[in-house]
This record gives sequence, C-alpha cells and structure tokens, in this order.
Amino acid sequence: MALKNLRGRVAFKFDEIDFDVDQIVGVKNIKTTNIDELSKAAMQEYDPGFASAVRPGDLLVGNHNFGYGHPHYPPMKAMRHMGIAGVIAESFSPGYWRGEISMGFPQISCPGILAFVERWDEVEVDWAAQQVKNLTQGTTIAFEPLPRGDLEMLEAGGLETYLKKRFQTDTAMRNTDHA
Amino acid sequence: MGFTITEKILARTAGLPSVRAGDEIMAKPDFVLAYDFPGYTDVIFKQLKNDFGITKMAEPERFGIFIDHMVPAISPAEEELHKGTREWTAINDVKLYERKGIGHQVSSEVGYATPGAFAVHFDGHVSQLGTFGTLAIGLRRNVLEAFAMDKVSIRVPQTTRVDLVGRLQPGVMARDVFHHIVRVLGPASCRFQVLEIGGPAVADMSNDALQTITGLAMFTGAVTAIVNPDAKRLAYALPRARLKLEPVSSDEDATYAARHTIDLSTLEPIIVIPPSPANTRDLKDYLDVPVQVGYLGSCASGRIEDLRAAANVLRGRKVASTFALNVVPTSQEIMVAAAKEGLIEVFAEAGAFVSSPSCDYCFGRIATMAPGQRAVSTGTLNVRGRMGSPDSEIYLCNAAVLAASAIEGKITDPRPYLQG
Repeated sequence: MALKNLRGRVAFKFDEIDFDVDQIVGVKNIKTTNIDELSKAAMQEYDPGFASAVRPGDLLVGNHNFGYGHPHYPPMKAMRHMGIAGVIAESFSPGYWRGEISMGFPQISCPGILAFVERWDEVEVDWAAQQVKNLTQGTTIAFEPLPRGDLEMLEAGGLETYLKKRFQTDTAMRNTDHA
Repeated sequence: MGFTITEKILARTAGLPSVRAGDEIMAKPDFVLAYDFPGYTDVIFKQLKNDFGITKMAEPERFGIFIDHMVPAISPAEEELHKGTREWTAINDVKLYERKGIGHQVSSEVGYATPGAFAVHFDGHVSQLGTFGTLAIGLRRNVLEAFAMDKVSIRVPQTTRVDLVGRLQPGVMARDVFHHIVRVLGPASCRFQVLEIGGPAVADMSNDALQTITGLAMFTGAVTAIVNPDAKRLAYALPRARLKLEPVSSDEDATYAARHTIDLSTLEPIIVIPPSPANTRDLKDYLDVPVQVGYLGSCASGRIEDLRAAANVLRGRKVASTFALNVVPTSQEIMVAAAKEGLIEVFAEAGAFVSSPSCDYCFGRIATMAPGQRAVSTGTLNVRGRMGSPDSEIYLCNAAVLAASAIEGKITDPRPYLQG
C-alpha cells in the first residue's frame, strides 16, 4: 500500500532552530487532555488566528533539529485535530521524530525547505518521487528517504496497526512453517 | 574497513554476519526495559493482552521492569499503577526492581549493562548503559514493538566518535564534559547517530563519569552513546552480566561520520541556562545569580562521585537559610556507600534534605517549584516547567557548583572551596 501524497498549504513556518514543540500549546497546558481545549491553547503565542485560518491537509514547516528538548504528544495531537497533515523540516530531533511517526503523523526531513516555501504556499509531498513540490512557485526539492520501518508505520497509520499487521504475518508464517 | 561496536552488536542481534551504518535490519534486543509510568507500561500491558493476545511473555528473562517514578506514591491512583505493574510482572515471571533506585542506574547494578548486549527502553536516558559497551536505545512508544514482537525494525545508525584526552582540573566534572560536547559539536551534531566516547582519557575516568556523559547523549541528537569497554568497565560489568556474551569493540579502522578530540585539561565549569539543554555557557558569566532551590541527584548525576564532590564543598559548612537543598542518591546501593563514607552525615549537618532514591525530584512531581523560583540542578533537563511552574527556572551544573551555590544562595564557583 503506497502512501497518499500530502497536499496542502504551509500553515506556519517555525523559524527557530532546536524548536521545542511544547511551546505550541505552552508548558502550562501540556497536561491538558481535552482536545478542544488543547487546540484552543495552541499557537496563541505565534498566531492567534491560526485555528480559523488552517484547513484540513495543511502542513507545518520547521527549521533544523525540530522537536529538540523533551517533546510531549499533546501539541501535535492538537495540530492534527485542527487539520494539520504533516511536518516538513530542515531536520528533526530523533525523539520527537520517533514519537510522531509512531502516531502515524508524517514527518519529512527536507534540507532547504525553509527557503523553499513562503507561508500559505500550496505544496505537495510526493512520496514516490521523494520530492516536495511547491505548487505556488512551480519548484521542486528533494527530501531525505525515510527508514523502511518508519514508512511502513506511516502506511499502516501508526504503531499499533503496523505491529498488529506484522504480528499477524509472523503468526501466519509460523503456522505455515509447522505445516 | 572495520566495524563500529554498534555495527557489531546489531549484526549479532540481527543474526547477520555483518551490518553497516544505513542498513535496514530487524534486530532482537537482548533486554527490554521499562519503568512503570501512566500511558506507557499500563497501556502496553493492556495492549499485549487485548491487541496481541499475549497473556504470558515467552522469554521473561529478557525483560526488566522498574518502579522508580512516583516513589513514594502520593495518591491512590499512583499506587494502583504500581499494583498493576507488580501483578503483571508476577504473572509473567518478569523481574521487577522496586525502590532500588533510578532504573537506568539499577540496570547497571543488576547486570543489564552486559558488554556487547543490545537493550531497549522507552526512555532515552537508558543510553548510560553504553558506559559498559551495551548498546541501549530509547524508543519512546515504539518500545511496544519490543514487548509484542521478537525483533525491532531499525536502521543501523552512523557513529560520531569523540576522543577525550588530558585530565580534568579540580572543580570540573563529567557534567561539564558532556555539556561542553553539546556546545562545541552542537545539539544536532549526532542526530540519529551513536555518540562513541573514546580516547586515552577514558581509562582514568570513573564509571560514574562515563554514565553521566553517556546518559545525556540525547541532547546531542544521538540515539545513544557507547564506550568500548576497557578493563575498568569489564571489571564492573562482567561479574554482574546477565548474559554470557563476548564483549566487542570498534575496530581501529571503523568508519565514523565524524571524529572530534576534546582536551579535558582546557575545560572550565559550565552552566546550562534555561530553557534548553542546548544552552551551555561559562559558569564565570553567571556568578551571583540568586538561586533558591538545589537538586543533587538524577540518573545523570547523583552517584558516589557526585555526592563526594558536593560533600567536599559542604563539609563543615551550612546551606544558606534562603536555600532548599535536596540530595537524592541515584540508587540504594549508592546511598549505602554514601552512608558508609559519612557523606549523608555531611549533607544532613549542612542542612540538606536527604531523600531515598526516586525519579520524582527531576520532573517536579515533588519539591515542586513556584513561579519566580530559580534552581541549580544536576537533573537531566532544564526545559520550562520541568521542576514545577512554567515560570520557574533551572540552571544545570555539576555537583560541586551546586553545593557551593547552596552555601551562598547564588550561583557560585566551587573552586575556592576546594583549596585547603
């Protein structure tokens, strides 16, 4: 099963290097579990109009080492709730990357992305071509191939489904071996 | 071309003759470790049963569970969580280490730091098992993979090698070495790689010092850190090892993504200012900043070497009346050693609050800070709200700096206290 290309606007550009994603909702809201409340708190420090401007399928763009620090899950849960379909960054911090990929949330490591897009440009992440296309400006840029396991996890929609599939395959293979 | 220690360990656990950085493999962890924590272990135990139909773990000896957070419990819900953990480990014949200390340290004490082994956890500070030549990686939620399946999917990481030469000056500690590495290499320098610590200075360094450095590897972007186990490391780890494995080391002609040398004799005490572990600064530029709270402990720093360094400064002196100092030895084993050496006495006489081992000080679950308060800490992290209010601040430093700051109630260079 191939991943469906992502297509949407650049809803925000986080310019900060080593960006700590907890800042999206603010540390004081990090333990909020109500998704509507979390979404209301999100982006208030950056753009209070964010929630009303964002459309389903829109993407975020980040700088180098995006997700550094001690990342929690709620900020990106809020982002997904608001319709954000993925994050494209110059590079990612591994802990953040692993956590979000396991949520089935596409992360695309793409050196040069910050200069390649303006906010609200329409972009497409073409998985097969391993390129980000800037549909507004008519340009393309290559992104770094994802590890196989990460791609399979995204295709499955997250860790749990991915593991269940593998578990079933393994069990089926074991049964075949016995036969 | 030769192989790195990481490539050798992963080749064995993948059942392959050899692997190279970049290879996509399925590897079987020798050990799967976790501490009980809401949203992690309780969920995993449920998922194993409900989603995978696993009612009994097939190889219980590969698993180790720790109760080190929420110790002691402060609510019925916390105690219920611990209860569930005790039940699951009992049903599955899985080893449980409760109230023995912070799990990453206890792991080494009870032999999960087997040289040449591959261990996984959800928490990245498990990297400190690398001190003994164990490849130990934090997987976050993906640790479920290691609980439910034999093997985990992994891309063999590249390695950045840091060679340490020279000797540390008095008052400069492993903590300074690590944050210096972050400073000169950068907080993203080892992204998705292994940080390999080597060089002639390693032989003279204590296990404690190397556990500090390797345990913080994530703040260079590394997935873990590792040391080629030398005589001192093997003398500690082999008698405790849980598996009979041939220790492995990187070949002389192994391929590294980058190689750096750090001369320890040139280092000065540092301070890491809020709100990011990337903010390494010279201590001398932050002297006299008022501080009200101190935390000496954590899986990074709270071992006997740290306790001795702090006690050397505090002996015969008093903590400032405006200052609350919490001293938390990393494990029971360390606490006993500290008591035998008379260090606990020094801390108590100085006016410190001395606690049994617990993770809870490091993330503000207890000794919670109020808005406007400022801490010096040997904890792992200084992000906003880590030890309480988002409007409190944490300055990370070594144990001697912390002790001197506790006496003066402001950030203080410990070196004058170490003379005579």
